[in-house]
Amino acid sequence: MTTAITGMGAVASIGGNVDEFFAALCAGRTGNAPLRVFDTERYRSRNAYEIDDRPAGGPDTAMRTTTYLITAIEQALRAAGMSDDLSGVPVLVGTGLRELRSLELWHRDRAAFGPDDLHFGAALRAKFGALTTHTFSNACAASLYALAMGADLIEQRSSDVVVVAGVDMISESMFGLVERIHPKAPDVVRPFDRNRLGAVMGEGAAAVVLRRADPAADEATALLRGVGVNCDAYHVTAPSPAGMATAMRDAHRRAGVTPADVGLVMLHGTGTMLNDEAEATALADVFGPAARDPLMTATKCMTGHTSGASGLLGLITAVRALRDGVVPPTIGLDDLVDEAEGFRIVTGEQATHRARRAQVNAFGFGGINAVAIVEVDE
Amino acid sequence: MNTVATGVGAVLAGDAGLAGLAGGTVPSPEPANPAAQLPGRGLRYKDRATQLGLAAARAALADAGLLGDADELLVPPGEAGVVVSSNLGNADTVCRVVETIATEGTRATSPMDLPNASSNVIASSIAIRFGLAGPNVMLCNGETSGLDALFWAQSLLVSGRCKYVVTVGVEPDNPVVRRLTGRDRVLDGAAAVVLELAGTAEGRGVRTRLGLGPYRRTADLSGCLTGLAGAAEVPARWYTSDAAGAAPADVLPAVPRVDLAAVWGAASGALGVLQCAAAIGWFDGGGSGPVLAVNGADDGPATAAMVFDRSSAR
Repeated sequence: MTTAITGMGAVASIGGNVDEFFAALCAGRTGNAPLRVFDTERYRSRNAYEIDDRPAGGPDTAMRTTTYLITAIEQALRAAGMSDDLSGVPVLVGTGLRELRSLELWHRDRAAFGPDDLHFGAALRAKFGALTTHTFSNACAASLYALAMGADLIEQRSSDVVVVAGVDMISESMFGLVERIHPKAPDVVRPFDRNRLGAVMGEGAAAVVLRRADPAADEATALLRGVGVNCDAYHVTAPSPAGMATAMRDAHRRAGVTPADVGLVMLHGTGTMLNDEAEATALADVFGPAARDPLMTATKCMTGHTSGASGLLGLITAVRALRDGVVPPTIGLDDLVDEAEGFRIVTGEQATHRARRAQVNAFGFGGINAVAIVEVDE
Repeated sequence: MNTVATGVGAVLAGDAGLAGLAGGTVPSPEPANPAAQLPGRGLRYKDRATQLGLAAARAALADAGLLGDADELLVPPGEAGVVVSSNLGNADTVCRVVETIATEGTRATSPMDLPNASSNVIASSIAIRFGLAGPNVMLCNGETSGLDALFWAQSLLVSGRCKYVVTVGVEPDNPVVRRLTGRDRVLDGAAAVVLELAGTAEGRGVRTRLGLGPYRRTADLSGCLTGLAGAAEVPARWYTSDAAGAAPADVLPAVPRVDLAAVWGAASGALGVLQCAAAIGWFDGGGSGPVLAVNGADDGPATAAMVFDRSSAR
């Protein structure tokens, strides 16, 4: 594959752009805070990783998902040296929850809302003149799934430039149901820790500009070497290590790499009992003895689980880590699970690390898996 | 690389099936009964859209010769992918849950609603039931989503990510959907087609029923027609979008128009796949010539169009 990443944008609880976001991760700063907008009387959960943009105690605002999607895309376009005119550029959005938060506000509080607000086509046309817009609702693997579909457009030569984005804001229905299934409501995300209690939702948006790589032009921030996607076809909520491993092998094959070529792994690491065990088991299976070599990190401890945005936020983190030679730590990880025994997961302080290639994992509800391989010049 | 349809299924009111869909009238107002077509257990906690999608997918997979007598998949699991288009499938679950939380708190919600609150529950449920371990894509792309789903299924095939894609369009009818769309007649049903490359179909010796022609997505109908001019100068049939004024009298004046939404109700993200299934029914009944399918409205986010052909199907 010869696809270049030429621009990136990111917004999350811990930072409003890629520089802020990556600096916060490296500093080990968390976006975890008391739940701000929902009526806390209704929940056992007391914390979330929200983007703090609403007046304290005030009502929630509709259409925030769309707002932050547009912000992340604008940042990526600026970084790629592009204008706001996307009339000829496909825009692919991966999202778990679409504008379902605004649907809730429409249903309960009579906020203005129509069926075309559920996806992002109307807003992207109004803002960027974009006509080729696609909203993929592939749960927590959504933005890396969209990345795979976007890379395919470039490989098939049907587009030279594609914008891929991921976005999710917390909805009350999902926040409430996630709490419902936990015997004890988790307050923080503690990936791969023996005492983890589960996932806590976070908010985020991410975007990248993909372009057919031109060896003559030195414009690439990084190269996207390949994205593997599949489905466990096993269980709606329980992940399968075998399905995850198949997606990793598919990504390696598409990228033309072996596990020994991977110097950094951005773990999906949701801090749920089942995900972390399955992910570690899959990595140990695919990497074999080489699982002891790459540095690994899981950043949902600082961003919360940003659902459909999380894969692309992980990819942006990976690109910055490779370029800057610094890997953010996994905070709150004190007692490593057995399945991850021997993995070099960064804890404590950020780690200085020279590597050329990173693997980014994203796994979602329904057993859908997406794994990307990115590379920077040595 | 031509993409062809080798299997089709429709789950509609009045047990209409493919013949009823192509015929253009609702045989009886009896609601679709997906459970009757899905033997065994496991439907209890599936929402309406998922049940409809499962039944349509099963019919299409069986029709394509990909399922055995016990619904077992007859090809390697990783070779079979899923693309589902639905905009409103879980809108009622989301609204009901948020209402329950507001009145009674989270303890009153059902954990069984968690999968249904995730918009991709239809696509993943189809994969799990039939063991389809290839790419699994849930498209929620508004009025054009059905034709867009056919395009993405084709893209998965051309990219070599899988060999077969069951492509499903589904929307449920319920009070939330009616209130949100402002329509009092909405589809409660699903259609599915199995797509594969012509060479794959030829290799396994199955009959191809329809070929996917070019696809355009642009600002309006006239832009789509200009873009498709070489492929369907004068289509034999035009499956129109259900938007008001979607098929002006002076555009393609001699071409017979079929408004499926007028028969089955506003179909949102299901319409494009429903049109593809109807075209297969029409070809099966002896129809020939390129068929034009259009989704979306000139005043909406975009208009999408695709040409279906029998000639590229053999």
